[in-house]
Amino acid sequence: MSNKVQSFPDNQASVGAILSRFVAQNSTLLVVVLMLVAFGLSSDKFLLPNNIFNIFRQMSVVAVLALGMTLVILIGGIDLSVGSVLFLAAGITSVLLRDGTPVAIAILVGLSSATVAGLMNGLLVEVAGISPVIATLGTLIGVRGLTLVLMNNAQIRVTDPFFEWVAITRTPGIAELDVPGIPLTVIIVLIIYLIMAVVLRQTLFGRFIYAIGGNQVTAHLSGLPVLPIKLLAYTLCGLMAGIGGMLMAAATGVISPGLGAGSEFYTIAAVVLGGTRLSGGIGRVEKTLLGAFILYMVLNFMTLRRIPAEWQQTATGLLVLTAIVLDRLAQRRRG
Amino acid sequence: MIQPNKEAPILEMRGITKRFPGMIALNGVDFSARRGEIHALIGQNGAGKSTLMKILAGVYPLEEGELRIQGESMRFSHPRDALRIGIGTVYQDLSLVPQLSVAHNIFLGREAGNGIFINQKADRERSAQILTQLGIQSIDVDALVSDLPLAQQQLVEIAKVISHQPKILVLDEPTAALADEESTLLFKMLEGLKAQQIAIIFISHRFKEILKYCDHATVLRNGQLVKTFAMQGVSEDELVEMTIGERKETFFQQREQNATSEEIVLEVENLSVGRSVKKVSFSLKRGEIVGITGLLGAGQNELVRALFGTELEVSGLIRRKGKAVFIGSPKQAIALGIGLLTEHRKAEGLIVDMSVKENITLPSLALLFRQALLFIRNRSETQAANDSIRDLQIKVGSAHAAVGTLSGGNQQKVILAKWLMRDLDILMFIAPTQGIDVGAKAEIYRQLHVLAEAGKSIMVVSEDLIEILGISDRIFIMYDGQLSQTIDRAEASEEGLLSATQGYAHVE
Repeated sequence: MSNKVQSFPDNQASVGAILSRFVAQNSTLLVVVLMLVAFGLSSDKFLLPNNIFNIFRQMSVVAVLALGMTLVILIGGIDLSVGSVLFLAAGITSVLLRDGTPVAIAILVGLSSATVAGLMNGLLVEVAGISPVIATLGTLIGVRGLTLVLMNNAQIRVTDPFFEWVAITRTPGIAELDVPGIPLTVIIVLIIYLIMAVVLRQTLFGRFIYAIGGNQVTAHLSGLPVLPIKLLAYTLCGLMAGIGGMLMAAATGVISPGLGAGSEFYTIAAVVLGGTRLSGGIGRVEKTLLGAFILYMVLNFMTLRRIPAEWQQTATGLLVLTAIVLDRLAQRRRG
Repeated sequence: MIQPNKEAPILEMRGITKRFPGMIALNGVDFSARRGEIHALIGQNGAGKSTLMKILAGVYPLEEGELRIQGESMRFSHPRDALRIGIGTVYQDLSLVPQLSVAHNIFLGREAGNGIFINQKADRERSAQILTQLGIQSIDVDALVSDLPLAQQQLVEIAKVISHQPKILVLDEPTAALADEESTLLFKMLEGLKAQQIAIIFISHRFKEILKYCDHATVLRNGQLVKTFAMQGVSEDELVEMTIGERKETFFQQREQNATSEEIVLEVENLSVGRSVKKVSFSLKRGEIVGITGLLGAGQNELVRALFGTELEVSGLIRRKGKAVFIGSPKQAIALGIGLLTEHRKAEGLIVDMSVKENITLPSLALLFRQALLFIRNRSETQAANDSIRDLQIKVGSAHAAVGTLSGGNQQKVILAKWLMRDLDILMFIAPTQGIDVGAKAEIYRQLHVLAEAGKSIMVVSEDLIEILGISDRIFIMYDGQLSQTIDRAEASEEGLLSATQGYAHVE
């Protein structure tokens, strides 16, 4: 959603000015609140704690991918391959588990493969100089193909008890109020978010990400390590896709050939709905989480209202395009 | 000589007021221009010149006041409307498409033809005609704009505006990027347009040009009209006084004593950069200010850029404190204690979305404000940024304000603060005061002297000869890629420098 609203003439009351600044800075949050109210009014099931937790659980994989994607978009890039990289990590881990590899090693190798795929994206874009859309489109196709080769084109079950534990574990809930416990996957997403938020706000890496995305020439002329930072952003995006793959494996219990296909769209949609500027330099991870929440609230609401899947897809596309258009309009008004 | 013009002004603006949130950019300003005059619009940055012209050009809506063209009240809702009525504006930033030819650029969007196919021949002929009308022979209508030097691109931009046959031509600092000779050419062209009864409004910071070529001038200060007057008998000092509102006394602080020591901090031998710099050799001393000047494209920019590691095809020997060094990137240059401030403040000096604090500390972050696990030492960072803001008198409400909201002069101070914090020994500047108001200029000159006294070595590339004369201990003249002359300040005069930049031997 847009980060800026119309600036009012200053002869209006200062209350108006304060209000407009608040709206400008928290537009994403306001959209979330408005949607909660609107959806809550038109569906009696929507605001039930169980349903809200459902939304959290449903969005968790895309939220992790979107946190990684935020880094790449902040440096002015994009990664279309996250859905395939997710599949790569989940696929490799499932093959290793099937062959009797200890679970810790299987997960480690899965995550490493995703991290290497991310690094490769970075090298293709930043060293070979291929545009990010084309380079990661290549990875999207190639990595899925390679994973299918490794899996012999067949689906593989993940029956390891650790994965089942991740999928079903919850904190204790409050039975009297009908509030369920928080799923472990949601807690994992929150922990990753907290780490990313601290890294982006408090560390050199975070500051350099914003600097490079804001103006790469100035960053270079200021002596910053531009190339390593950009490579790291792509690499971390790969790692996040790998973590997403593990969560997905836990949730579904089976790795089938289409796993994760299309999730790049929902991932980028979440980042865009969260207001991260597509040309880089501006964006916040908390808003990315809100963006993912908006997306999955809409999907959940449509499911509750029994809207057919094809219409859900159409509506989602329209929602994302609207967000992009609003963002452009806000930028134009500013410039 | 100006002919007293009894005819009514073609342009009259009355009581123009423009408010932006939190400030008044223009407060009841009157302005008028007549056919066949060059009317200078003068004022410091933020005085309201550009805002006034943007209202005239339909970029900003007219909210308060009256705008009359040939006596008729006007209200533009789009720049297109203003252009149709006959108001042509040449902005400081060029709007040409570099990959297209001169002719294509001039008639972009208005190509001759039958609506499907473009009549290339007709466009070329029309373009050639306009260029001839402007007295420009040196530009080929088929040349790609990207192949032309900046000065010629500027002329193409003017030709493009002229092709709309404006009655009023507004030029926003057209000479800022031009060397003196090129400005002279531009003014010759403007004289021709003047004879065609076009009213020309000319925004500039170069008082010499204004005194020489303009018929009238209007001075704005802090959004208010100071005075409109005929240029006859006005002196440069009076102009400076009107724009800054006080006498200029400390504009150039003449240094009592030269802080230069004999210690050589940088030696360059036979440095060549592509085809722009040819076998340049010199040495730079501790505490010295060297001014480098020359015509546009004489290689002065490439020379200092090569010393900062941004240029390709660099050959020759560079010694830092006697040791041969290789400078392949800005990072290496900075590690060797060398910094560069370029003329492109927003594109190369700042990150406009970031705060003043974050901009100032950017190159020093890893060195001064790092703690365990790459965390930033927040408190000392803010403290250091606040110290810089105070020391350099940067006008900003808070260190957390976005740097993009500052005026040009204050942005330049932020860039200076950024390098000062890094504590480099050698600071190089390209056009440090370009487009900056008089007050901020004085502050920057003062800082240069303070730095030299503190033992820093400074190189300033500038085409402003007065500036070079005012600040340098030694002056390097670049001509056609070569370091053609080195002149001590004591022996330098403006006339001498001027002829030296044209390639003549220095005579006193």
